[in-house]
Amino acid sequence: MPMFAVWRPLLIGLAVATLSISGAGAQGVPERAKLCATCHGEDGNSRMPNIPSLAGQPEFFIINQLFLMREGVRKVEAMAAVVKDLKDDDLQALAKHYAALPAKGSGEPIDQALVQRGGELAAMRRCVSCHQSSFAGADQIPRIAKQRVDYLIAALKALRTGRPGSDTLMSAAVAGLSDADLAALAHFAASR
Amino acid sequence: MNSITRSMLGAAAVMVAMGLATAQAQTPPGLSPLDRSNPSASGQDGNLRPHPLPPLPTAVDKLPLDKIKLPSGFKVEVWSSGHPGARTMVMGSKGTMFMGTRTLGRVYAITEKDGKREPKVLLQGLTQPNGLAFRDGALYVFAINRVLRYDNIEDKLDNPGEPVELTEKYNLPDTIHHNWKYVAFGPDGKMYVQVGSNCNICEVNPGTHGQIRRYNADGSGQEIVARGIRNTVGFDWHPVTKELWFTDNGRDWAGNDGPQDELNRIPRNQEGANFGFPYCHADGIPDPDIKRPNPCAGVIMPAALTGPHAAGLGIKFYTGSMFPRQYRNVAFIARHGSWNREKKFGYDVVMARVNGARATIEPFLTGLLDNAKNEFYGRPAYLFQMPDGALLVSDEQNGAVYRISYGNGNRVSSTR
Repeated sequence: MPMFAVWRPLLIGLAVATLSISGAGAQGVPERAKLCATCHGEDGNSRMPNIPSLAGQPEFFIINQLFLMREGVRKVEAMAAVVKDLKDDDLQALAKHYAALPAKGSGEPIDQALVQRGGELAAMRRCVSCHQSSFAGADQIPRIAKQRVDYLIAALKALRTGRPGSDTLMSAAVAGLSDADLAALAHFAASR
Repeated sequence: MNSITRSMLGAAAVMVAMGLATAQAQTPPGLSPLDRSNPSASGQDGNLRPHPLPPLPTAVDKLPLDKIKLPSGFKVEVWSSGHPGARTMVMGSKGTMFMGTRTLGRVYAITEKDGKREPKVLLQGLTQPNGLAFRDGALYVFAINRVLRYDNIEDKLDNPGEPVELTEKYNLPDTIHHNWKYVAFGPDGKMYVQVGSNCNICEVNPGTHGQIRRYNADGSGQEIVARGIRNTVGFDWHPVTKELWFTDNGRDWAGNDGPQDELNRIPRNQEGANFGFPYCHADGIPDPDIKRPNPCAGVIMPAALTGPHAAGLGIKFYTGSMFPRQYRNVAFIARHGSWNREKKFGYDVVMARVNGARATIEPFLTGLLDNAKNEFYGRPAYLFQMPDGALLVSDEQNGAVYRISYGNGNRVSSTR
């Protein structure tokens, strides 16, 4: 993934920068969220390539993923230093904060032909059974509607290669799909 | 045959071989074949999905103890809590309780200090370390596709150090779906290992998936003990016959009412037998999506059906003497509870009374499912018989273990 290769040093740089700010001890949600905003956007809608939007994600989903990253089950290099010192209360407060923000599209170009193809694939792979018909997710299942296209493609590819700690059901859902299929799914989800 | 023809034939053979290799490589390693189910034909609510598992612990005063109902004379108390997602239980020879998890990636160690049980995170960051076994001072940890052995673990609970890596020796398939492990040492001293079918419903290679295998403890001497299994997540040996009994979870998206889960037994001298997946389910139901003639021919039928989508996980034959005599050699089964069913089912512990090749299912621990509200309060996952004969039940949803005792709970027992 060339995009990742380009962004990784910058991401780590940002993560280290945020870590040094967060050394100040107990902070309120707005303070913490300010650090997150560097990458994930002031309003939780990311404008940075390959960085996911958090606005409107189910509260449970955010707690769960922060927990899994803190544990080292889900390994995201750029997040490791950020989540390391988060307490359970922090996870809950951040999750509540982002769940309440409205999700907005990223403004990336959406290809209508891909949306059409993605819709057919989504029906075949039955994405709605977990992600819900609105694609807004629920509980441990993420919102994929209005998510960034580039992030969705990267995440789907990671799931297809069996990223450590990945969901067993998602490994079945993306099995055998081509890069073009994953791009179509990403455009479809982002357009919802 | 001149040399040019021969080399052309050779090239053709290579091309055919490459073609075959490409066809076999359509499902990349580590991934599941495509689910062949047809949910719209199942008539089920398309929005059914697995229940979320809270990563944070339930406070002791919020545990659903007051909901639990047991037969008269039995009582339930909290044995330990504060260990989110804890499922499987094995005890070390010095009394440490080890517990495995799935998505949270942790292995807990629970020790007793000043009469209080203290859980600690022993290992973390593993991929679904559900399979645990203990022997000769060593803890065996089976995560998805990794096998680790921690020697003298009870002397190193504060710093387990680097394990002995047995992954290559066990050589388990690298697929993820339905491959969180259940493992146990059998009466023959072998390590028995689950290898699930890596899909909801699909045709699997019976030489690699849908099995129970056994190995020498070091990972050598692999043998297939049973085939045609969708996903067993618990087994135990009958205390008298020494035959292996296992739970097997039925497929999803074929209706709310089944096919039902199975309690199976591997008859003596029939090791390697076929249990029917994916063509034949429950007590002889042909699969609606993957059809073939005589789908149930040669398939060993279950000893009992254990309910639609009930998700029977742990099974334990009771050999203690704290419980009344009629519980001796009864198999307790923890039913984790349904997700692929509109009206929830399970969330309890049942008893299987064995009579030869058959068993009958009766309720034991109930109350965690509110039928009127269609809500559950806990999810029993695994069972453990304590040296004093009490029965421990892990509740994965609440990160707690309940102790079930009978009478004054102090009766002297003969452990096996």
